[in-house]
Amino acid sequence: MKPGHALVAILAAALAAAPWMLSDFMLSLVLTCLMYAGLTVTWAMFSGATNYLSLASAAFFGIGAYVTAWGFGTLPYAVVVPLGGVAAAAFATLIGAAVLHLRGAYFAVLTFGLGELVRHAITYFEKSYAHTVGRVIAEPPESTTVYLTVLAIAALAVWACVAVRRSRFGLALAGIGADEERAQTLGVNTRRTKIAGFALSAFFAGALGAAMAVRWTYIEPNSVFNPFIGFQTVLIAMVGGAHTLIGPLVSTVVFSLLTEFLRLQFPYLFLILLGLLLILLVLYLPGGLASLWPALRARIAALGARLAALEGGARG
Amino acid sequence: MSFWLELIASGLITGGIYAVVAIGLNLQYGLMRIMNISHGEFLMLGAYLTWLAQTVLNVNPLVFLPVVAAVLFLAGLGVYRLCFRKIARTAPSVEIIEARSLLVSFGLMFLVQNTAYLVFGADLRGYSFLDEPVEIGPARFTANRLVVFGFAVGASLVLLAVLRFTLVGKAVRAMMQSPTGAQLVGIDTAVLHPVVFGVGLALAGVAGALLSMVYEISPAMGEPYTVSALIVITLGGLGSAAGALVGGILLGVVEAFGMHFTSPSLKMLLSYGVFIAVLLARPKGLFAR
Amino acid sequence: MAEALLSADGITVRFGGLIAVDAVELEVRERELLGVIGPNGAGKTTFFHALSGVLRPTAGRLRLDGEDVTGRPAHVFATRGVARTFQTPRVFRDMTAEQNVRFGLEFAGRARTHPHDAFDDARSILGFLGLEDVAGVAAGTLTPSRQRLLEIGMALGARPRVLLLDEVAAGLTEAEVDATVGLIRRVRDELGLAVIWIEHAVRALLSCVERVAVLHQGRKIADGLPEMVARDPAVVEAYLGEAGV
Repeated sequence: MKPGHALVAILAAALAAAPWMLSDFMLSLVLTCLMYAGLTVTWAMFSGATNYLSLASAAFFGIGAYVTAWGFGTLPYAVVVPLGGVAAAAFATLIGAAVLHLRGAYFAVLTFGLGELVRHAITYFEKSYAHTVGRVIAEPPESTTVYLTVLAIAALAVWACVAVRRSRFGLALAGIGADEERAQTLGVNTRRTKIAGFALSAFFAGALGAAMAVRWTYIEPNSVFNPFIGFQTVLIAMVGGAHTLIGPLVSTVVFSLLTEFLRLQFPYLFLILLGLLLILLVLYLPGGLASLWPALRARIAALGARLAALEGGARG
Repeated sequence: MSFWLELIASGLITGGIYAVVAIGLNLQYGLMRIMNISHGEFLMLGAYLTWLAQTVLNVNPLVFLPVVAAVLFLAGLGVYRLCFRKIARTAPSVEIIEARSLLVSFGLMFLVQNTAYLVFGADLRGYSFLDEPVEIGPARFTANRLVVFGFAVGASLVLLAVLRFTLVGKAVRAMMQSPTGAQLVGIDTAVLHPVVFGVGLALAGVAGALLSMVYEISPAMGEPYTVSALIVITLGGLGSAAGALVGGILLGVVEAFGMHFTSPSLKMLLSYGVFIAVLLARPKGLFAR
Repeated sequence: MAEALLSADGITVRFGGLIAVDAVELEVRERELLGVIGPNGAGKTTFFHALSGVLRPTAGRLRLDGEDVTGRPAHVFATRGVARTFQTPRVFRDMTAEQNVRFGLEFAGRARTHPHDAFDDARSILGFLGLEDVAGVAAGTLTPSRQRLLEIGMALGARPRVLLLDEVAAGLTEAEVDATVGLIRRVRDELGLAVIWIEHAVRALLSCVERVAVLHQGRKIADGLPEMVARDPAVVEAYLGEAGV
C-alpha cells in the first residue's frame, strides 16, 4: 500500500471512530470541519478550476436544508440527504443554463444574489402556502448518525474531486479556466461542461445542507440561508489555494478552529478580520498557501542537497 | 387613475436610485473591469453619514449631499489605491483582473458591512425629512420621494452630460472602448482610474443619502442594490451610461408593478426573472452597441 | 472535381455599422493548400473567426463536408474537423507542452477518426514539430516562436481535416520562415490535411500554396493560382501603399 493511501486510511478510521472517542464539543468541532471540507473542496473543483467564482454555496446549502425541513419525517434521513443534493443540483442546472454563458464577473454577482433570491422565495412560499414561518424538526436522528452521514458526504466529495481532476471532465474544466475560447476551438462543449461542474458542486452543498439541517431544531429561512457560509467557503478555498485539493482541506481545519473559538465571542470583529484577510490574500498571495508549497519544497530540496554535499565533503 | 400614477411614480423613484447606482458600477466595471461587489456598502455608508449629519448636527440632508459625494469620492480614491491598483498592475489578463477584484471586493463587503454593524448596531435607524404630502394633479406624493427622484435623475443626467460633452468624459469613453488607444493619445490612466472609481463610489453614496431621506436604514441595506445594479447594467448594455439610466428606471417600474400584482417579497424573483428573460432574448443587453 | 471540404457562401460579418467581412465566398478541397492574403484590416482574421465558429456570421452559410454548420458553437466546428491557430499564440500557459497537445486529442481529436491519422498521441505530434525536448516544460515559459509551433501542435491534436493557420510566419527570420513553409507543406503532404493559411509574408506564402485568395476591405477581390493573382491589377492596387509585397 502506498504511504499516501495508508495515511488516508488511518485518517478515515480515526474520523469514523470519533463519535465514540471525543467529547460532544470536540465532535461538534470536527463536524463543522467536515462540513466545510466538503463545501470548499467541491467549490474549488468547479470555481477554482474554471475561474467562474460561484458565491451561491449558501443558496444550495439552504435548499438542501429546506428539503430536510419539508421532507424529514415523511422520508427517512437517508433519503432526504441525497434528495437535498439533487434539488440543489437541479436548481444549479437551471440557473447555470441561464447565466453561465455570461462573463465570470456577472456570473459571480448573480450567484451572490441567489442566496437572497431563494431566501425570499421560500419565505413567501412558507407564509402564503404553508402558513408558517419556520419549521420544527420533531425527532432528529442521533448525533452519531448525523456525524457519520456528514463524514460520508465529505469523503465522497474528496473522492469526487480526485476523480474529476484525473478525468477528461477535469481537463475540460481546467481548459475553461485557462482559456475558454481556446478550449472551445479544441472541441470542448464549454456550456455543457460548465453546467455539469456547477451542478456537481451544488449537489454536495445541498447534501451537506440537508444533512446539517437536523442540528437546528427550528429551521427558518434567515438562519439557514446564511451568507457567511458562502463567504467562509470562498475564503477557506482561497487561503488554501483554489487550484489544489490539499490546500482547501488544510485551511479548513485552521479556519474551523478559528471560527469556533472567535465567532461567538466577537461576531462583527471576526467578520471584519476575515474580510481583511481575504483582501490581503488576493492582493499578496492569490494562489493561496498552496502556492508557497513549490517554493517551500524547492528550499527543502536545496537544503537537503547542501547537507548531503557537506556530508560527502566531510567523509572525503 | 391616481393609483396608477402613484404606482408608476414609486417605480420611477426606485428606478432613479437604481440608475444612479448602476451608472457608478458601470463606470468602474466598464472602464477598469473591476467588479465591485461591495458597491452597495458604500451606498449604505452614504446613508449613514447623512443620518449622522441630520440627527447629530441637524444638517439638512440635501445640503449635505455634496459633502457625502466628496467624502465618498475621497474614500473611493483610497479604496482604489489600497485594494485595486495592485490588481490592475499585476494581473496577466482581463479575466484575472475581474476575478481578483471580485474577490477583493467580496472581502471588502464583509469588512465594511460588519464595521457598520459594530459601530451603529443592527437596529434600523431613520429620520424624517420633507414628509409632507404634495399633490400633483390627481395624485399624492410625499415631498421627499419627489425630491429623491428629482435628484437621482438630475445626478444621472449631469453625469451623462459630463461623459458626452467634457474632455474628461470623452477620455473616459475613449478608454472604455480602447484602453491602449487612449493611452497612446496621452490619457493618463494612473490618474483617470482612481478618479473614475471615486466618482462611482460618490454616486453610490449619493444614492444612499437620497434613500435615507425616505426609508429607514440598516447596515445590510446596500447588498440588494449591488445585484440590481448589475442587472441594470446588463439590461442597458455594458459601458452605456444612458442605457443604465433607462434600464434602471425600467427595472424600477417593472418591479413596482410586479410587486403590486404578486407580493413585495417576490421583488428579487421578479428582477431575476426580467434579467434572465432579457438575456435570453437579447444576450448583449437591450441597448448594447 | 472533388467536393468542397469546407465552403463559405456569402459570409458577411458585421459589427454594428462596420462590415468586417463582406459576402466572401471561398471553398477549400481536401488536401488543398490555400493561402489568404490582403492588406491590413482586410478582414482575414475575422473571416477565420467565422470559419472556425468563434464568431457567428451575420449572413451567409458555412458547410463542412456538405453539412450546414452555420451558427453552431465553436466546439462543433472542432469536432467536425476544423482546427485553428490564433494570431497571438494562445497556449494553456500552466500546462506542459505535452498536456497542451493532448488537450486537443482528448476532445475534438476523439470525435474524429480520420483515415490519415498519423498521430496516436501527443508525443508524436511534438516530434513532428520538433518540440520533443520541451514536452514537459510549462507552455508559458516557451519562447514565442516555439509557442507558435505549439499552437500548431494543439490544433493538430484536434485531428482536423482543415487546418486554419493565422500568420504563423509573422516576425520570424528568413530561415525560420522557410522552416515554417516546409512544415506547412509536410502537414499537407504527410498528414493529408487541407490548409488555409493567412499570411503577411506574402512572398513565402505565394511560393508554397496552390491557390490564393485576396481579401481587401472585407471583400474577396481575387481567387486563383499564385502567379495569376500576383499579376492581377486589382490586387496590386490594393497593396499599393503597403510597403514590400
